[in-house]
Amino acid sequence: MTVRDDRTARTAGVVSRTVAALIDLAVVGGLLGLLYIGLVLTKLALNPGSFRFPALELVFTGLVGFVVAVLYLGGCWSVSGRTAGAAVMGLQVLGRHSDLLKPPAAFLRGAACVVFPLGLAWVALDQHRRSLQDNVFGSRVVYVHPC
Amino acid sequence: MTLVNAPLPPLPERPPPAPSVLVDVYRACEALPVVGSLFTRGKREAQALLSLIVAAVLDELDLTAIVRDRLPAEAIETVIARIDLVALADEVINGVDLPAIIRGSTNSVTAEVMTDVRTQGERADDAVSGFVDRVLGRRQGSHDRP
Repeated sequence: MTVRDDRTARTAGVVSRTVAALIDLAVVGGLLGLLYIGLVLTKLALNPGSFRFPALELVFTGLVGFVVAVLYLGGCWSVSGRTAGAAVMGLQVLGRHSDLLKPPAAFLRGAACVVFPLGLAWVALDQHRRSLQDNVFGSRVVYVHPC
Repeated sequence: MTLVNAPLPPLPERPPPAPSVLVDVYRACEALPVVGSLFTRGKREAQALLSLIVAAVLDELDLTAIVRDRLPAEAIETVIARIDLVALADEVINGVDLPAIIRGSTNSVTAEVMTDVRTQGERADDAVSGFVDRVLGRRQGSHDRP
């Protein structure tokens, strides 16, 4: 995907970004569900006689969810700058020089967003519509859809 | 695929128009050097008037009522019985590219919905930013700068 060479693109606000984040949350939930189904089918194939549904441990599930979310967010941002939610809402995450985020910055930003999602609320208060994660990693979220 | 169970008899060929002395004389008059154009114009006017009359007559005709009243029901039923309606329906359905129609309409509806959702989101962003700017006493629109 090409990055818009437009440094004057409008920065997205808190509503669009929150909706995009909720869509991404649903996508990550779907990915976790698929992983769970894969685990169930694997256990059923290996031990069909003594099969029981695997219990959901809070720590393990949280850890897997964290890893999946960081891989999903960081991978999407470093490859195209757009997650599924961003694509729906017409947004793109750009770096300091209006280019795509480098993979390390993208994955660290993803981890920061998962650990502290309330940082998104700073978009509503910041003069330049930047979240706490944007201020730390020098990123911007812009509108890329034609209006 | 045959749509009719029994073959219909071929239509008789239309006979060529009979030679008419009046038509030949009129054509000869059209070829005259000075008054020929008047004959040609008169023919055009007559054709236009005739077209209007025929159109008015056709508008007054109720072909459905004529068929219903003049044709015996048995003849209509015989004609309908000779038509393979299933084959006719199959041919019509095969001629319609239904997947392309559904695909095209779905794509356009989806694009409209996506554009609407994005536009509404952007307006909501501006509304929230404007409210916060007013509360904090900031100059509005400053967030548009990258």
